[in-house]
Amino acid sequence: MSFREQFEIPAKYKMWSMILMAVGLVSILIGYFLYGAGDEHQNARFWGVLLYNSVYFLLVVNAAMFFICATTLAMGGWQLSFRRVSEAISVAVIPIGIISFVILIALVLGHQHHIYHWLTPGDDKLILGKKAFLNPTFFIVWTVLTIAGWILLGARMRKISAELDERGPLTKEEGKRYVYKTTVWGSLYLVWFALTVASTVPWLWFMSIDAHWYSTMYSWYTFASSFVAGIALMTLFVIYLKNHGYLELVNQEHLHDLGKFMFAFSIFWTYLWFSQFMLIWYANIPEETVYFKHRVQGPYRGIFFLNLIINFLAPLLILMRRSSKRNYTLLVFMSVLILFGHWIDFYQMVIGSISKDHVELNLFDFGVAAGFIGLIMWSAGNALTKRSLVVKNHPFLKESIIHHT
Amino acid sequence: MAIKKFVVGSFDDEAVLFPAVKKVRKAGYKIHDVYTPFPIHGLDQVMGLRDTSLHTAGFIYGITGTATALSFMGWVFTRDWPLNIGGKPNFPLPAFIPITFELTVLFSAVGMVLTFCYLCQLAPFVKKHHFHERATDDLFVMVLECTSRTNEEDAKAFLASVGAKEINVQVAEADWWLGRYDKDEKLFENKAEKSLA
Amino acid sequence: MASLRYESQVREPLVTGTKTYHDVTQDIVRPIEMKPSFLWKVGFTISVLLLLFGVYSVYREVVYGIGEWNLNKTIGWGWDITNFVWWVGIGHAGTLISAILLLFRQGWRTGVNRAAEAMTIFAVMCAGQFPIFHMGRVWMAFFVLPYPNTRGPLWVNFSSPLLWDVFAISTYFTVSLLFWYSGLLPDIATVRDRAREKWRKHMYGVLSFGWTGSTKHWQRHEALSLVLAGLSTPLVLSVHTIVSFDFATSVIPGWHTTIFPPYFVAGAIFSGFAMVQTLLIITRKVLNLEDYITMEHIEVMNKVIVLTGSIVGVAYITELFISWYGQNVYEMAAFQNRWDLSTPYGWSYWLMMGCNVLAPQFFWFRKLRRNLLFTFFMSIIVNVGMWFERFVIIVTSVYRDYIPSSWSTYYAPTIWEVGFYLGTFGLFFTCFFLFAKYFPVIAIAEIKHILKKNGESFKENMVEEERATPEKFAHEHAH
Repeated sequence: MSFREQFEIPAKYKMWSMILMAVGLVSILIGYFLYGAGDEHQNARFWGVLLYNSVYFLLVVNAAMFFICATTLAMGGWQLSFRRVSEAISVAVIPIGIISFVILIALVLGHQHHIYHWLTPGDDKLILGKKAFLNPTFFIVWTVLTIAGWILLGARMRKISAELDERGPLTKEEGKRYVYKTTVWGSLYLVWFALTVASTVPWLWFMSIDAHWYSTMYSWYTFASSFVAGIALMTLFVIYLKNHGYLELVNQEHLHDLGKFMFAFSIFWTYLWFSQFMLIWYANIPEETVYFKHRVQGPYRGIFFLNLIINFLAPLLILMRRSSKRNYTLLVFMSVLILFGHWIDFYQMVIGSISKDHVELNLFDFGVAAGFIGLIMWSAGNALTKRSLVVKNHPFLKESIIHHT
Repeated sequence: MAIKKFVVGSFDDEAVLFPAVKKVRKAGYKIHDVYTPFPIHGLDQVMGLRDTSLHTAGFIYGITGTATALSFMGWVFTRDWPLNIGGKPNFPLPAFIPITFELTVLFSAVGMVLTFCYLCQLAPFVKKHHFHERATDDLFVMVLECTSRTNEEDAKAFLASVGAKEINVQVAEADWWLGRYDKDEKLFENKAEKSLA
Repeated sequence: MASLRYESQVREPLVTGTKTYHDVTQDIVRPIEMKPSFLWKVGFTISVLLLLFGVYSVYREVVYGIGEWNLNKTIGWGWDITNFVWWVGIGHAGTLISAILLLFRQGWRTGVNRAAEAMTIFAVMCAGQFPIFHMGRVWMAFFVLPYPNTRGPLWVNFSSPLLWDVFAISTYFTVSLLFWYSGLLPDIATVRDRAREKWRKHMYGVLSFGWTGSTKHWQRHEALSLVLAGLSTPLVLSVHTIVSFDFATSVIPGWHTTIFPPYFVAGAIFSGFAMVQTLLIITRKVLNLEDYITMEHIEVMNKVIVLTGSIVGVAYITELFISWYGQNVYEMAAFQNRWDLSTPYGWSYWLMMGCNVLAPQFFWFRKLRRNLLFTFFMSIIVNVGMWFERFVIIVTSVYRDYIPSSWSTYYAPTIWEVGFYLGTFGLFFTCFFLFAKYFPVIAIAEIKHILKKNGESFKENMVEEERATPEKFAHEHAH
């Protein structure tokens, strides 16, 4: 048995990634003429769509690196048969990170106060009180550090993995040292992840849109949302490659486990969703319920329940069965559904706060999303061609080969 | 209650057991059971056992719990004794979720354990015939049931040929009964031996 | 089909030494068959005495009322609820280890899950005492049950987090007990089949439910364990979540915050693992189980401790930060009552921070993770810290309410309040001593199950597989 280690981008794949990126660019251009040049509300919509799309896809691809580091620390062997896929997806953090950075900086420097109200606090006492955190300088510095940290630490993790290909099989001692080294870098990444995704960044980028409102759960909720979508994205890539005759070492067992992750973290997301919603609903303090008022009882009602149906009920009912986690078609369906569902979740998190009175979800939203999807395809596809698809010399690879649930 | 005659072969390595089970089945012997000190993955498939549907039972118990909790709390607070609690609706779904969840889990877990005990006939004071006392220690004990066509000697020889270490013939109750483990009851011993003789 | 029992040589073995299946049985069952040691008797006696003191303290509370404790105008929840939350938290590690780690297929759990589950059950038993006796008129405790009573019928308030607690704790106790006992069945049968004395054979015969080890039974047993694990995973999260709702659904500054549910759960796992360390470091030594609870096990649990400790740290800082970010004067005041060292309880906040967030950071160092004495010391530190976390949450949030005139005098417990707490230690250790003496403290069947994969002597035979190229290996063993 020999492996197909070299990925060659199929022409169709390349074409589609180009088409999608073109659609994205065209959408942004058209969007700019439709909204960007319009009044303040339209302008806010233009930037809002760019904001939630870029951050959503950034966090989703970044979740792939989180997955790598978390499984590295947990000494997980099973995921090595598709390790290079997760790595390739995480490469997309670089282009999307830069795009997100540009958008975020443009928001702040462009004084988009219809999105970030705190840019022009006036004499709003509450916002003035938050000045130490909500100010353009800190925003820019922290955003730079955040994205640079993800990119650099992620690159470091990938480099450590790539080094393996240049070496022969590791001895026991070398293997131990190698595992130790990945653990150290993996934990550094996780520490940075905890300080950014799991705390400050969702406050800064998203929660501050409702500059008065606050919820301590917000960041963990955002993390759960992007992580489960990240698993779905990895599953899609794994199944795509598998269907094209690559990844011989991946079988139903590995996909079953990815399915379990999607199932479990959908439930986890729901748990956090419920905890945040229920506590605010129960205590019924106006300064908190202001966030949910128009989402539950206003124009966003449909999206609010759609969010729960797609992201909770569907995974619960469909992925509970063992057979559905081993069925490629169903897994693809569920992955797409979950990616879409959490995209909707991000949509309502951002747009729901920017435009409270009426819901606008149209081709502009989808077009921009398509652009990012194309970008992920392009960048992950290219990254896949750069290295062997099999991490041949990893000490845990063989555990992944005989892995079964 | 049925007294039967068994040919018992004990193995000391599960790696030998697997091919042995296959060969024994192929040769047409009827495997009464294989007793092992720990679960051996795949042995049930090799023995041709049906997959268990305990999961499905658990799912059904679970949704019974969900339905019970929601309908009961709903009935209490909307029909039997409506109360205004914190200005919330009479059917405050978010506030009912915790109890609903707990009852789902409780029904499912208790139901499954009871079903498990029932299916496996496990309960305090239940006693069964043990073919080898080291079956819970380090031996894998394969028990063949003698039918009218079974030749004991052939069966013993066959077990030896597939790797069994200790082989003997036992006449025993195949079912469970209420009894004590410190007393060695010989159930219907004479009757059984007469009927088999 | 029997698949290859292989794992990477890079991993430390989980069972050290050259063991056969019979050795495993022997090593784990032997302490049960021997006469109790002198140390055991001393420990057991002390526990029973503590328990009796606790019973007397509770007797005083029942006879004289809650006034026997020092609860006052603003501090309605003092040591009792602190202890309740603390014990419930400790009662999380067992189910976490056996359920979540089963789902995550962490092999190392087999060495520690049985004792951890037992600990869970005893801890939940201890926890349950506090809300019950906190009711004051404990003979009315059945009022919490939803039954059609003679008062209307007036039902219990299903919207109250305190009632959710009743359901959560009792469900958790029941399911943990079932999970633990169904796992014990095969091991009790092992003890039964080795027993020579009559009473022992009879006793374990009854307890074993007539387990034989039939393949069909194992098949169902595996299915049962897996589903129970699947159920227990959200259950274990739900229990401390619901405990956190006791606080978070209220509108009291310092209590009402949305991060409470996951943060409580992380804290519970954190303290639970610390307690597991405390117990197992002693148990492995006293019962000579170093081959089964290896340094690898201790190290992995220390990793969990540093992980959960850091998660808790992120939550503490989140809370503190948002209390400022929210710019709500009441929230800010509540937190000032914590962090400001000049306030009466400021010390407890920093004690909590030191024990729970800073101290575990030492476990980033492998040397310290593998140091038994240090680990033991840290496990105590963490448990002290986690007790203070609950104390901080409860006492500092309520001792100064909205009216300065009712800002209470310094709250300190009475001897009977402390006695109740000590009594639960008595209960806990009495149960644990009995468990360690009469039940296999390590899951025998599960150790046998992993022996040929993770046992030291068996791993040494894997050299050929280890040397094979991935292509060859995949060709021969992939399925």
